[in-house]
Amino acid sequence: MLVLGIESSTPQASVAIGSEQGMVASALVSRGASYSEFLLPAVRFCLDQSGLNYRNIGGVAVSLGPGLFTGMRVGVATAKALAQVLSVPIVGLASLDIVAHEVRHSPKVICVVIDARRGEVFYAFYRASPGGIQRMTDYLVDKPERLAIRMGASPEDALVVGNGALVYREVFEELGSSIEFGSMSHAFPDARPLVELAVPRMFREEYDSLYQLKPLYLRHSAKRIQWERMRGSRSA
Amino acid sequence: MMSESGWTAHVPMLYSEPVQEWDEDVLVLGIETSCDETSAAIVRGGRNILSNVIASQVSLHGEYGGIVPEIAARAHVEALTPVVGQALRAADCTFWDLDAVAVTLGPGLIGSLLVGVAEAKSIAAVLDVPFVGVNHLEGHLYSNLLTGHDEAIWPAVALVISGGHTMLVHARGDGNYEVLGGTLDDAAGEAFDKVARFLGLDYPGGPEIDRLSLLGDPQAVAFPRSMVDEPGFDVSYSGLKTAVINYVRRAESRGEPLSVPDIAASFQQAVVDVQVAKTMAAARHAGVERVFLCGGVAANSGLRSGLQAACRSAGMRFLVPPVELCTDNAAMIAACGTAMLRRGLYSSLEAAPDPSLPLV
Ligand SMILES: [Zn+2]
Repeated sequence: MLVLGIESSTPQASVAIGSEQGMVASALVSRGASYSEFLLPAVRFCLDQSGLNYRNIGGVAVSLGPGLFTGMRVGVATAKALAQVLSVPIVGLASLDIVAHEVRHSPKVICVVIDARRGEVFYAFYRASPGGIQRMTDYLVDKPERLAIRMGASPEDALVVGNGALVYREVFEELGSSIEFGSMSHAFPDARPLVELAVPRMFREEYDSLYQLKPLYLRHSAKRIQWERMRGSRSA
Repeated sequence: MMSESGWTAHVPMLYSEPVQEWDEDVLVLGIETSCDETSAAIVRGGRNILSNVIASQVSLHGEYGGIVPEIAARAHVEALTPVVGQALRAADCTFWDLDAVAVTLGPGLIGSLLVGVAEAKSIAAVLDVPFVGVNHLEGHLYSNLLTGHDEAIWPAVALVISGGHTMLVHARGDGNYEVLGGTLDDAAGEAFDKVARFLGLDYPGGPEIDRLSLLGDPQAVAFPRSMVDEPGFDVSYSGLKTAVINYVRRAESRGEPLSVPDIAASFQQAVVDVQVAKTMAAARHAGVERVFLCGGVAANSGLRSGLQAACRSAGMRFLVPPVELCTDNAAMIAACGTAMLRRGLYSSLEAAPDPSLPLV
């Protein structure tokens, strides 16, 4: 089954088409491109270059974030619309899981860290397990300094990977030799591992509901936070 | 397309090569997500509404007393797919019956626009039909085509009046517009909402003021009619808003009784007087025989009846759509998109929304 994957939750956006037999085509851009301008021309490019058309697509996979709100929304809206018109199933996956999948062979504890801007990071911890990788925490958001303290308290060696690990490199370097940094090529979630992860889910028919699928924001809108604080202080 | 500074901007890229005959039966899906309504519509031949589904977010924003852009964008992502599905079912057709997809490209909230544009482009890409980016304000002008009549609508002077816009447009024909004037500060709907909030009325405040106006005396308080005697067709509402606030504060400090219906009625009458005077002056200036009222504030009963009476005594034709077509809706976007397609105008799949897209 050919699955079309769409990842646009970070400054790097990508699309890929692949099946259980491997990748067929992919396109990627990482210079803060406008997702709205990139995604559909990129899908067109992948289809054309591999001699396919939309009717050959049997499923749509999309990264739900966490990441940049605008990118997540454009990606999810695009994927949902494609699945709706094509009448094919849709599967949503977390950006953090996609990055973790790329380093699944590491024997260390894996911490995927994605830059959340405003001085914070999105992160989750993973561990290799038979037949793949297991997430050990929820998807979380915090200041990188607090994440570093949490990691410093653990006796285990860890691999930190993702653009958040690179943006806040000095913060994690303070933890010394117990920390290994992931490579630049795994800094961003990519549509190819997204498709790899989605294909078996499609086969197991673990689809998401088209109407209910939404991005993983992890944060309320700034205004809501502000308003809740205001209400809190007023009632106090 | 890649440059040193990244990707170049693509403001609505319009092509001018008609791809097929746009006959009377052409079926266009319209999508509108510029503000806080998620809407999808199927329109046949640019005039005949087969469906016009509108999911309002009023309940989500009410507790904040105004539209929160991030909340609006999130709600569009969740609502749009079901709304499009519902529009197709209500029109008894499938995606594959569509001849084109039209969507609001701007002006509006960028986060909200992006969701609709992503959806519309994706649908058009799969169906391999033209994708046409529509100016929201031009869309409002086309709500005039959807009211069941088949008379000509141009040339006309249109008052586009809503929470985001207050604009007088001389529409000579399809795509041929001149902006004669607008607000120098608050949009009329914004002034209604701000005054309503100050008076402690429920959100959205416009309809509340309209409702209370019927119970009050419009002559009770002599609020200013700013700019009404000045040449030109611009208006200003910040002075009026401040006058209402000052009036209430003064009365409160003196311990005088306040009638909210009287204040609401007097405020609304001031807005109506200014808008009617400017609109009629613009119509005389443009030498047109038609006056057209559209936009969310066109639902205001005082404005509708005021402008209707002024047109009757001036011997002009007054056109105003029913309320559900005055407020933001996708049917008007589909109608406008159809008219653009007939002129051979459609957009590239690389077109990006523009939050401040100008009408001309
Ligand atoms: Zn509008």
